[in-house]
Amino acid sequence: MKITDKLSENILDKLSVDFLRNQVLKNAYGNNDTVIAGMDPRILLVWYLFFGLVPWFVNDSNFLIGCFLLVTITTLLAQVAGLVLFLFVLGVFSQTGYLLIVTLLFGGDTSAIAPLLVLTLKVATVSLASVTVFSGMDPDKLANGLMWYGCPERLSFSISYAYRILPILMEEFQNILLSYRLRGNPPEHEHLWGKIKYLIYQINVIIHAFYPLMLNTAKRSRTTVEVLEIKGYRYAAVNQEAKKMKLSSLHVENNDLLFLSFSFLWTAVSVLISTWI
Amino acid sequence: MSTINKQSANQSQKLMVFVLTMALYGLATLFTELIPKFQIGIVEFSVEYFLFIPLTLAMLFDPISVALGAATGELVFSEIMLGQFGGLGELEKFITVTIGVYAAGRLVSDPRNRKMVGLAAFGGTAIQLLLGTIVDVLKVQFAVEDFEAVAGLPESVFFTEGFAFLNDLLFSGILFCLLPTLFLVPRLYGKIEPLLGMQPRTERTASASVGWKTVLGCAAAFACAVGAEFMAENGLSLIDWEAAWAESASAMAVGMTAAAVVAVAAVIIMRKHSENNLAEKRI
Repeated sequence: MKITDKLSENILDKLSVDFLRNQVLKNAYGNNDTVIAGMDPRILLVWYLFFGLVPWFVNDSNFLIGCFLLVTITTLLAQVAGLVLFLFVLGVFSQTGYLLIVTLLFGGDTSAIAPLLVLTLKVATVSLASVTVFSGMDPDKLANGLMWYGCPERLSFSISYAYRILPILMEEFQNILLSYRLRGNPPEHEHLWGKIKYLIYQINVIIHAFYPLMLNTAKRSRTTVEVLEIKGYRYAAVNQEAKKMKLSSLHVENNDLLFLSFSFLWTAVSVLISTWI
Repeated sequence: MSTINKQSANQSQKLMVFVLTMALYGLATLFTELIPKFQIGIVEFSVEYFLFIPLTLAMLFDPISVALGAATGELVFSEIMLGQFGGLGELEKFITVTIGVYAAGRLVSDPRNRKMVGLAAFGGTAIQLLLGTIVDVLKVQFAVEDFEAVAGLPESVFFTEGFAFLNDLLFSGILFCLLPTLFLVPRLYGKIEPLLGMQPRTERTASASVGWKTVLGCAAAFACAVGAEFMAENGLSLIDWEAAWAESASAMAVGMTAAAVVAVAAVIIMRKHSENNLAEKRI
């Protein structure tokens, strides 16, 4: 009884589309004045390349703790939205915690904790580094940075487009859901069976709502592509001169170098500590 | 003549299909990422997949644009936008989603044939999940040091991964992939194609059925996904080898620290300098 209560309550609470939209928008556009947001995207991507890759290959727990502390600080600097941090904590610790319980069930003893701790530290460091870079940065800046490194034009277009279309899509989805609810007749949800039926009804409505959404989005994407064609998008995507003009806004400043060298110092010190211990 | 008979999707229509799939599937994966999962015992109940969206579209439009659009949408909306980008793991997800959706789209030559649609939807989901499971097992084997030495861990990984595969296939696969696809494909058929200025797919205009080239391409792509994981293993031994080669690790670390201190100092001095310059310019 209690479990099913939690089940339906939890899903329905989080399904408030307004809440999700606010959090996503806050994440995308809400923190443009932080230290991280003001930095050059190319420097941040190099930084991410290190902290996103190196922890996977290192098994020294002291070094990993050092890296973890550094990315925690940068995440705090980036002022990431609460929901993202909540998801991060839930994701990291439920995953490895779950693995630990099953390991104990299969007759492993406490010796299983150390490798799992290392795994948790690795996952946490890598995800926090990505939270810092990808959610602390302005989407357009990020797209420009990726383009500078020669990523496909499609990808940077997708990032910029996604951030612009998402609020519109979410609002439309919510309107369709509401209209379905207005016309629909939800089942009673007093008892356990009724609650399950109600949940099935909700999922059913969501799936049905994608039918008009698909048709509307098809129309919209045709308009988008036609407008892009008028502006010569596919020509500009392969033209070097247009690319150069687009990327001329990027500048590396002293703050970026300071950030990079401070990170280097921190890493070097943690390597030093790990060799002494 | 043959070009006229084909389901002629030109470049801008392919871009339309790409944008459409990316926006829709991205929105859906954003929801799945945000809705918490429930675990009752070890049975996981989650709205894991909205895979029915790209599956449906892949059966109606050009499969490769849909497959790439879906994978990009997932990457951009739910990983990069929420800051959950996981590096190497994302490459594997990108490739498995692409293969699964593409295979399902190629299998269907006539979207009005319900049996074929159902089979392709289930098959595409199964392919995607199976590839993901294989890579997951490999990943845990490489990431945890002394994998074999920890009692009970290898079995538990195989057990949880195998169980998650069956659970996902039977729960999410049927509820969220098979049934919605069966519902949506016949309804959208003939209605959504004119909106993008295309002819509906028929038996005659469909691209040729799955040949050895497709299978070979998928195998090569999967090899890339596994290759990323093998790279991880090689990288591991490379770093070990370097550490053994360096005579004294702590001497190297001291050197690195000294270099870092110098770098920080240099940047601070540069910064002061440029600030002074700016102040002079203002005067």
